[in-house]
Amino acid sequence: MASGILTAPSNPRRKAHPWLRQSFNRHTLRGAVTLVVFVILWALVVAFKVPYLRLLPPPRDVAVSLLQSVASAGYWANWWISMVHIAVGFVAAVVVGVPLGLAMGINRTVRRFVFPIFEVLRPVPPIAWIPLAIIFWPTVSLTIYFLVFTGPFFIIVLNVMDGVREVSQNHVRAALSLGAKPRDVFWRIMLPATLPYVMTGMAVGMGVTWNVLIAAEMVTSATESGLGSMTWTAYTNGILPVIVVGMLSIGVAGYLSSALLRLLGERLMPWQRRI
Amino acid sequence: MSVITKRIFGEFQVRGLSHSYGGVPVLEDCTLDVPRGKLTVLVGPSGCGKTTLINILAGYETSTVGQVLLDERPVAGPGPDRLVVFQEMALFPWMTVEENVNFGCRASGMPAGEMRSRVASVLAKVGLADFRSKYPSQLSGGMQRRAELARAMVNDPKVMILDEPFRGLDAMTRSMMQEFYVGLFEEVGRTNLFVTHDLEEAVFLADRLLIMTYRPGKIREVIDVDLPRPRTFQVMATPRYNEIRQHALELLYEEASKAFAAGSQAAFDLVDGFAKAAGR
Repeated sequence: MASGILTAPSNPRRKAHPWLRQSFNRHTLRGAVTLVVFVILWALVVAFKVPYLRLLPPPRDVAVSLLQSVASAGYWANWWISMVHIAVGFVAAVVVGVPLGLAMGINRTVRRFVFPIFEVLRPVPPIAWIPLAIIFWPTVSLTIYFLVFTGPFFIIVLNVMDGVREVSQNHVRAALSLGAKPRDVFWRIMLPATLPYVMTGMAVGMGVTWNVLIAAEMVTSATESGLGSMTWTAYTNGILPVIVVGMLSIGVAGYLSSALLRLLGERLMPWQRRI
Repeated sequence: MSVITKRIFGEFQVRGLSHSYGGVPVLEDCTLDVPRGKLTVLVGPSGCGKTTLINILAGYETSTVGQVLLDERPVAGPGPDRLVVFQEMALFPWMTVEENVNFGCRASGMPAGEMRSRVASVLAKVGLADFRSKYPSQLSGGMQRRAELARAMVNDPKVMILDEPFRGLDAMTRSMMQEFYVGLFEEVGRTNLFVTHDLEEAVFLADRLLIMTYRPGKIREVIDVDLPRPRTFQVMATPRYNEIRQHALELLYEEASKAFAAGSQAAFDLVDGFAKAAGR
């Protein structure tokens, strides 16, 4: 396969772990080069006091701040809180969205009743829900859960609905000919056939979810913590390196949650693996 | 021996069947028999209503005029007594070969032990025993068709309906599948209805050949194919085979000309057929 710098030497005893070999090959090396160049450029920008970017903290300060954060319990508490926000809102969106999408895909009457509301509410950016959500929900946590929920919810429902309508007629017919009852058709044909659409909806929804969460946490940062409010508080206190640490952390957290979903998809849909 | 028992196979009787889509008649006064334990092949130009006829026999669609009887009982809805093998792959991509094949057994609530031995024996028969835990996307085209045949056979249907099952396979695989299928039929002797627009395939396989007219579709002629069984590809070199094929070709030519006038794909199929016939 890839003949990168760190691929296994011919000596079998020193064969690198497959995960290592996958992670450090020529392609990831190229990415690393870009990262290094980026950090150098950043340092130069700070060193030469480029106009408008004068307040940018140097990479060294950010690195120090990052190390301090990683060593502090408060930083990880913020991680934990943001992850809980995401998990509750996102899981709720899946738990409500998937059955609703299935119902709308299978039953024309349900679709005709519900779809118009969707057409009106879907284009509303989740962030636009913030004022109403703050007024409606008694606690800040509930407000955030709700806002996180609205991000992926519509995307998931519409993806699942499309998925049901894409179920192959031939598969349904084949199942009926083999003596399947409607129950079997639902559980063994409809559900697995729509699963790729569920996963797509979740993956796309996850991207939106982090957008919404960070906005929500920033708005409510006076009373609630999380990576978003950590970043916003750093701004109000004028601690610039922590702002950058916050941004980096949010990026990593978003990447991790998407990776988790991808892993889940591979687990749930072994037939889509290319071998 | 085999778990595929020579149980009482079924027979179809179709009487005066008519069907139309949006006022366009597709089938008109269609009458035919699919006799017990025989391999009946239905040939007709593309667009003559073969697939519509199949859908009605399978119970996916109902016609307003005429009768479809399976063992003297009218057909109502799809059921495990009539198994359909489709022209496009209809294996469930999310199930392994084994899960696909045992789908029918599980749906009918067969005991696990019986199911296992049955599925194992059918998979062995179609040569897929070593591929039981593969997913359909990991199989070649020919293997996929064999898996579909296995899925249909394991259910022990009264009638097997095959709608151009070898379409889309390359020429060599297709010939192999035809020989494999005819051998399978000769061993089990189940009632089969095989639909195709490939005349050579039709004559090679059939006990009885039904020639369909172009739209509205009905049976133009029934030809008894009295070629000896078991059949191998040598049969295609015999004078009798050519005689039957020539006769059927003339009938089909007339029908395909009508289709040509109607601008149908059928004409192209026929030109293809002539080219192949001339090449031999």
